Amino acid sequence: MNKIDLLKRREFLREGTLGIGALALSDLLAPNAAATESNPRPRAKNVIFLHMVGGPSQMDTFDPKPALDKWDGQSLPEEMTRGQKFAFITPQARVIKSPYAFKPQGSSGIVMSELFPEIAKVADDITLIRSMRTNEINHGSGELFLHTGHGRLGRPSFGAWTAYGLGTENENLPAYIVLKDGPTAAGTSVWSNGFLSSRHQGVEFRKGRQPIHFLDSPEFTSLEERREVVDAIKQLNGKALQRYRDPEIATRIAQYELAFRMQTSVPDLVDIDREPEHILKLYGLRDSQGEESGSEFARNCLLARRLVEKGVRFVQIFAGGWDHHESIYSSLPRSVKKVDQACAGLIQDLKQRSLLDDTLVIWGGEFGRTPMVQEYSAGTGEKTAPGRDHHKECFSIWMAGGGVKPGFTYGATDEFGFGIVENEMHVHDFHATCLHLLGIDHERLTFRHQGRDFRLTDVHGKVVHDIIA
Amino acid sequence: MSVTDSTGLPSRNAASCAAAIQVFLAVLLVFGGKLEAQTASTPSTTYSFSRDIRPILSGKCFQCHGPDAAAREADLRLDQRAGAIELDAIVPGSPEASEIIARVTTTDSDLRMPPEGDSLTEEQVAQLATWIEDGAEYEKHWSFQAPQGPVLPLVNDSSWPVSELDYFTLGRMEQAGLAPSKKAEPAVLLRRLYLDLIGLPPTVEELDAFEADPSAANYEAIVDTLLQSKHFGEKWAAGWLDLARYADSNGYQHDDLRSMWPYRDWVVEALNRDMPFDQFTIEQLAGDLLPEPTTSQLVATGFNRNVPVNFSGGAKVPEVRANVLHDRVATTGAVWLGLTLECAQCHDHKFDAVSQREYYQLYAYFNKAVPEVAQKSETMFKKLFVGREVVVYESEQDRLRVAELEKTLAAEENLLAQNDADDGGEILILDFEGQDPLKGNQLSHPANTSADRDTPESGGNFAAKTVVKPADKDPGYFGTGFTFAERDLSAVAELSLWIKTDIVGSFNLQVHNADNRTSTFGFSTATTKPGTWTHIKARTDAFEKPAWAKAEADWAEVTKIQLTAYGNGPYGGKYIMLDNIAGRKISERDKRIKRIASLRKGIEQLQTSTMVMQDAVQPPDTHMMIRGDYANLGDRVETGVLSSLHAPASELPPNRLGLAKWLVDPANPLTSRVVVNRIWTEIFGRGIVTTPEDFGMQGASPSHPQLLDWLALRFVDQGWSQKRLLKSIVMSATYQQTSTASEARIKHDPANAFYARGPRFRLTAELVRDNLLSVSGLLSRKIGGPMVYPVQPEGLWMEILGVMDTKEYPTSTEIGRHRRGIYTVWRRGNPYPSMINFDASERNVCTAQRDRSNTPLQALTLLNDPAYVEMATKFAEVIWGWQGSDREKVVRAFRTAISRWPTDEEVAILLELRRKRGSWYAVAQTLLNLDETITKS
Repeated sequence: MNKIDLLKRREFLREGTLGIGALALSDLLAPNAAATESNPRPRAKNVIFLHMVGGPSQMDTFDPKPALDKWDGQSLPEEMTRGQKFAFITPQARVIKSPYAFKPQGSSGIVMSELFPEIAKVADDITLIRSMRTNEINHGSGELFLHTGHGRLGRPSFGAWTAYGLGTENENLPAYIVLKDGPTAAGTSVWSNGFLSSRHQGVEFRKGRQPIHFLDSPEFTSLEERREVVDAIKQLNGKALQRYRDPEIATRIAQYELAFRMQTSVPDLVDIDREPEHILKLYGLRDSQGEESGSEFARNCLLARRLVEKGVRFVQIFAGGWDHHESIYSSLPRSVKKVDQACAGLIQDLKQRSLLDDTLVIWGGEFGRTPMVQEYSAGTGEKTAPGRDHHKECFSIWMAGGGVKPGFTYGATDEFGFGIVENEMHVHDFHATCLHLLGIDHERLTFRHQGRDFRLTDVHGKVVHDIIA
Repeated sequence: MSVTDSTGLPSRNAASCAAAIQVFLAVLLVFGGKLEAQTASTPSTTYSFSRDIRPILSGKCFQCHGPDAAAREADLRLDQRAGAIELDAIVPGSPEASEIIARVTTTDSDLRMPPEGDSLTEEQVAQLATWIEDGAEYEKHWSFQAPQGPVLPLVNDSSWPVSELDYFTLGRMEQAGLAPSKKAEPAVLLRRLYLDLIGLPPTVEELDAFEADPSAANYEAIVDTLLQSKHFGEKWAAGWLDLARYADSNGYQHDDLRSMWPYRDWVVEALNRDMPFDQFTIEQLAGDLLPEPTTSQLVATGFNRNVPVNFSGGAKVPEVRANVLHDRVATTGAVWLGLTLECAQCHDHKFDAVSQREYYQLYAYFNKAVPEVAQKSETMFKKLFVGREVVVYESEQDRLRVAELEKTLAAEENLLAQNDADDGGEILILDFEGQDPLKGNQLSHPANTSADRDTPESGGNFAAKTVVKPADKDPGYFGTGFTFAERDLSAVAELSLWIKTDIVGSFNLQVHNADNRTSTFGFSTATTKPGTWTHIKARTDAFEKPAWAKAEADWAEVTKIQLTAYGNGPYGGKYIMLDNIAGRKISERDKRIKRIASLRKGIEQLQTSTMVMQDAVQPPDTHMMIRGDYANLGDRVETGVLSSLHAPASELPPNRLGLAKWLVDPANPLTSRVVVNRIWTEIFGRGIVTTPEDFGMQGASPSHPQLLDWLALRFVDQGWSQKRLLKSIVMSATYQQTSTASEARIKHDPANAFYARGPRFRLTAELVRDNLLSVSGLLSRKIGGPMVYPVQPEGLWMEILGVMDTKEYPTSTEIGRHRRGIYTVWRRGNPYPSMINFDASERNVCTAQRDRSNTPLQALTLLNDPAYVEMATKFAEVIWGWQGSDREKVVRAFRTAISRWPTDEEVAILLELRRKRGSWYAVAQTLLNLDETITKS
C-alpha cells in the first residue's frame, strides 16, 4: 500500500475558501439562478434589521423563566457561574424574577411577555429564536460582533457584505442605508465597509429633510444654477475623457448626474407625510385622534418599508434605550412601548404589500441580560433600583418574512435563562443563516485581504435549516 | 524551440499534454524576455517553484498540508521538500509515481484533492507534473530571499531611459509589446511633481517659470526645492499615519479624545528632516529604550500608543491589554515585514512560515510594557490611561512662558504654606430659628417639614426636618429647599451646612436664582454615618451648572438653597434634617488659592501631555494563548524573532530595541522591499507588489521583481533615505510620461501594470481638501499643532453612546478652518464625513492601502459641503479681483485649478457659464468640481 493512503481523505478541514478569489463574485452568487449545492435558492432579497441598542432582557421579553420566582433573591449555583465573564456584577449576584406575565399568542402559540401586545398580534408571522449566543459582553464590541462577526474594529458589517454580494437593485440609491433614533456605542464602525470597497459602506439617512450629508444645495443656489453648473462640469469632464480615455472620468460624469437627481429624489423618498392616514396609524405615527406621536423609531420603520420598496438591499435601524442596568422595571416598559406597535405595523404593512416574503425582518440586541440583579451603578458604585447586567451566553431575537418559518420557536435556555440547553444559534450561525436566506453561501462570500479570504462568518458558522420554511 | 518531448507528463494523463504546451507558450509570452537567454537549453527550468508551483500548492494544499501543525492532515506537509518526498507525495523525476499527481487528477471523488472547492486546472496539473519531472526543486518564497543586485535588462530602445530604473520598466514594456508614452507636457508634469512631493498644486507663476524653462536641469532644481519644502512632510505623513493607525480618540465605547498630535507632528518633522528609515523605525518602535532618550525620541514611540483602546465599563483590563498587544504585533508585521502575523494568533500560520509560538515570541517584546490602562476601582468601572506620558510644548515660546509661570506658582504655593489663617468671617444664611423658621420651604414631592429640637452642636434651638411621604411611584429623586429674599453671596468662598438623614446615597446642594439659573454641588452620604449630624463644606468654585439649568447661578442674586437626594429611591418614610446653612467669606488665602488654580490652568493650557512607551522593570511572563484567548494560557515563551528570516545579530537586546534593529538589519529581505513598494504605490497608484500589506505566499507576486530589488538595495545603500528614493523615481523617464493614452493602449493595459504611461488617479481625501483650499486661496500654511475642527454637519458628536467627555464639536474659527487635512481631528467613532466620503481611513486598524471609490456622495460633498462652498466663494472673489478680461480670468482660473492650459472649447464653456450666471461663483465651483482638479494626471 502506498504510504500516501494514510492521508485520510475525509478528515479534511472544511473551512476556508481557497481558490475562490480568482472567480468573479457574480459566478458565485446568482440570486436569480437556480439553486445549486453551494448557491442556495434565495428566499429574501432585502433585509430590515431592527437593532435594540443596549441588549434587551430575554427573561422579561421573549423567554419565560417561571423558575426565577423560586430562585428570586438567591445566588445561582456556583458551578453555573464559574469561569463566566460579567461586565459589572459578581458571580454571586442574586437572581431577580421577572414581574411580567407570559402567554401563548396567535394560533402558533408563541409565548411572549405581556409587554408586547402589538407584536403578539403578528406572532404567527415570526420565528422566535431563544438560543442566540455571542462572544462579547460590552456594547461597542458586542455591536461589532453582531454586525461584523468580530469583536474588534476593522471588519466589514453584515450590510456591507450583503451589498458586496448582491449589489443593488436601484442604482439611484445606496444599497445599504442606516436609520437610527439614538447613538450606537461603536459609532459609525458598526456599519463600516471594513476592507471592502467604500461603495459598500452603510449610508446614514438622518432625520429631517436633509437625510444625507451635503444633499442640499446652499440656500443661495437655485435649481437652475445647479443644473447649469452640473452641465458645465459634465461638458468639461467630457473633454477630459477625450483627452485621457480614463474610464474613471466616465464614472465621475455619471455620479454627478446621479447626485443631481438625488437632490430631489431623496427628500421625496423620505417625506412620509405622503403616506395615507391609516398607514401612519398602523405604525403608531398617529394615534386614533390623528395626533402625531413623533416617534422616530416608527418613522424609521415606515421609511425602511419605503426604501425596500425602492430596491434598497439592506436597511439597518438602531433603536436606543435598551441598556437596563438599573430601574429596569420602570424603563423596560417604556423601551418596549417605543417599538411595539411600529414593529408590528412594519410586518403587517410589508405583508399587505406582498413584500414580506422577500424581506427578512430581524429584531434583537447585541446580547442578553443576566438573570441576576445589578444593584450598583457602574459609574459611581452607588446603590440603584434593580437592573440586569450584560449577558452573552444566551439571548432572544426574532425574525419574520424572508423565508423563515412563520409562528415558530427555536432553541431553549435553562430554567434561569442563563445558558442554552437546546439548539444554540451563535452569532456566526445567525449570519450564515441570514446569508443563506439571501441566496449566499457564507463560505463562498469571501474577500481576499492581507493574504486571507475573509468571511462574515470568519472560520465558523453553520446554516440553521430548522428555521427555514 | 521545442518543448513537446520534455513536458514530463505522466502517460496516463496525456490529455494534459497539449494544455501544458499552451501554458508553456503563455509563460514564455509573459516572461519571455527573461527566458530569452535560456531558450536554447531544455525547458527544465521553465517552472520556478516560487513563481509557478508554490502559488498552486499554497492555494490548493497548504490549508491542510502546510505550515500549520494543528491543521495538518495525515502528517503530510507539502511546503517542505523533505516531508513531501518522505511520504511519496512527490517523487522527484517521476510524476507517475507521485501521489500528488494521482490525487489531483483522479475522478474518484473520495480520493480527489483538494477535497473541497475547485480542482486544479489542467494547466496547473501540467505545471506541477513538469516541475516534478524536473526534480521538484523547492525554493524559499521570493520575498524571504535576499534581494539580488539585478543586471540591467537589455532593451531595444536604449535612447529612452534616463535612469537605471527605466531599463526595468522598459524591458517589461517591450516584452509586452508596449512602448513608453511621450513625456508629459511641462504644466502637467510640474503639477504631478508638486502633488507627489508636497501635495499642493503649483501656482500660475510657478507654471509660467517652468514652461519658460522645462529643461532637465531646471526640473531637477525644482525637485530639490520641493524635497526641502516643509510641506513635504505633511504630504508624506498621511500614508504613514494610516499605517500607524493614528487618531485623536480611543475608539469603541467612550470614544474620548486623546492628545497624540505630538506624535503626528513628529512624523511630519522626521520626514522633513529625511530621517533615515532605519532610525525612523528604531525611534518609533523603541525610542524609549535608546540611551538617554530625548523628548522627541519618546514622542516617536507614540506609534504604539496610537492603538484603539476599549474603555467600555465592562471591558476587562487583561482583555484590553491583550487586544492592544495583538494590535501591536499585527501592525509591526504589516508595516515592516508585509506579513499577516495575526493569522498566527490562534494557530500556526496557514501559508507563511510563522508558527503560533513565534507569534507569541513577538508578542513577548510588547508584553514587557508597563500597564497602560487601569480601572478606577473594583466597583468603579471607568478606565484610565496609566502608562507613561511626556509633556511637550507647541513652541519654544510656550516652554519659556511655562517656566516663568512655574516660578510664580512656586512662590504663591510657598506663601500659602506659610500662612494658614483662614478667617474671612461668616454670613449666616438659614438657621431655622426665630419666627416662622420654615417659611419658604419648597418640596419636590409630598412631605412634611417641621422645626425639630434635635440640632447639631452650636445649632441653636431648632433644625428643619423634612419627612417624605410614601408615594405610589418612585419619582427617582426628592428635594427640599428654602426660598428667601434675594441675597448677595458673591463674597462667599465656601458654603457649609449641617445635615442629618437616613438616606444613604447621592445629594445635590443647589443654589438658585429667581429665574432658574442654578449651580449645584454633589456629595454623598455613603461614607458618613446615617442618622448623625454631619458638616458638609462646598467651595463655591466647585459648584457647576447642571445640564437641566439654563445657566450657572449668579452668587450675587441667590433666592433659594435646595438639597436633593437622587439615584437611590424610593424615599418614602425617609427624613432629611438641615441646620445652619452658612457662607464663609473670601479671605486672602482664598484669593491665593484662586490665583494658584489659575496659574495651574495657565500652565496646563500651554502643555500637552502625550502617551509614550515604557517597559516595566519586572515585566510579566508571556504565555501562548490557546486559540488566541487571553484567559486560556499555554506554554511560556521568551522574546524571539522569526526563524524563517535572517538571524539576529547576537548582541541585540531582548526587547523592542532589539526587535527594531532586527527589522532594519540590511540582511532583512522584507523591510526595504516593503517600504520601497509602498512609496512606489503612492506615486504610481499601483504597487510592483499589488498587495502592499502582504508579501507572504498569499500576496501578489511582484510584476517587476528586478526593479523591486534594485529599488530596495539602492534604498539601503543610500542610507535609507526616503527623499533620495523619491528623487530617483521622479527623475526617471518612467515617471515623466504623459498619462493621456489611446483607447488601444488603455485596452492593452487597463491597470497600467506595465507603467507604459504616466499615473492617473484621484487624490486622497486629505489632498482633495488641501488642493481645493490652495486653489481657492484659503489654505493656511501653518505646520503642526493640536488638531483642528473644520466645519462639519451639526450634532454628529452627540451620536456616540456613552461618551464621557466630549460631545460638543468645537468648530474652529479663523485659520483652524483652513488647515491641511492631516490636522483635522480624527475621531474614530465619528470621523470627519467629507474626508470619509473620499475614502479616508477610519484609522481603526493599520491600513496599507486605501480604496479609491468614485461615488455620488463625493459629488454632493464638493458641491454642497459648507467647507467647499466657502472655498468656491473665496475662489470666485479671487477671480473677480484679478486684472484682465473675462477670458484672461477664465484661463488663469483654469490653470490655477488644473495647471495645464485650457483649450478654446473649455474656455468657451466657462465663459458661457459666467455670462449666464453673471457671477464668478458658478465658474469657481465648476472648476473645483472637475475630475482633473481632484486627480493627479
